[in-house]
Amino acid sequence: MSATAQFALSSSEHQLSPEAADVAIVFPEGLVGCPEWQHFVQVVDSDEALPVALLQCLDDTTVQLMVTDPALVEPGYTAPLSSAERAALGLSNAIEPVLYCTLSVSQDGSISANLLGPLVVNPATRRGLQLVLTESSYSTRHPVAQIGAPEGQV
Amino acid sequence: MLVLSRKCDQSLLVGDNIVVTVLGIDGDRVKLGIDAPRSVSVLRREVFEQLRSANTSAAAAIVPTNLQSVAAALRGRTGQAEVRKP
Repeated sequence: MSATAQFALSSSEHQLSPEAADVAIVFPEGLVGCPEWQHFVQVVDSDEALPVALLQCLDDTTVQLMVTDPALVEPGYTAPLSSAERAALGLSNAIEPVLYCTLSVSQDGSISANLLGPLVVNPATRRGLQLVLTESSYSTRHPVAQIGAPEGQV
Repeated sequence: MLVLSRKCDQSLLVGDNIVVTVLGIDGDRVKLGIDAPRSVSVLRREVFEQLRSANTSAAAAIVPTNLQSVAAALRGRTGQAEVRKP
């Protein structure tokens, strides 16, 4: 595993270590359909900058989400936030939220991005929520790339 | 399951502050109006299931060693961009 967890997870499950709790991104409502996934830490590869990162769930340590910036896979991607959603995140107008989309890898190595349900995080408070862009035409399985194909080909 | 019959323009209450109104019926399509606090998530069930499926498959599919190969596959589209840290 080249990506190393910067933050020590407590050996006993469902207990956050103090360091992890400090830096965890908290989704108070969890994710859609997975309400128990509330605390994540972003695991980074310390060796080089990657266009992908892992969100390690602290509530269920078997859960890791591979994420990227949706603007990297869909130029011009926007996720409009309602005033209620901005309030829930504690976002002032001066703060630009961080957007993630999860990536799935199917058996044949094709990578898809969930652009319908991006994760939005307030970098100041580390609170996040999963948006559902019901007014958009984005899908949960937007084709992105193929593992092993020449770079960039879908 | 609670089963209720409603006619057009009739409503029902869910809890204290959610009102569901039948706005129209056209063949097998029923148009519903939902008044709920903004904090209450209202989703078509199939959309909810799509999202849940996407979340669980994103969690299941990943072995950490995939990170490099996924990064390589994305590089053609993304260049050397890096995911922001909150």
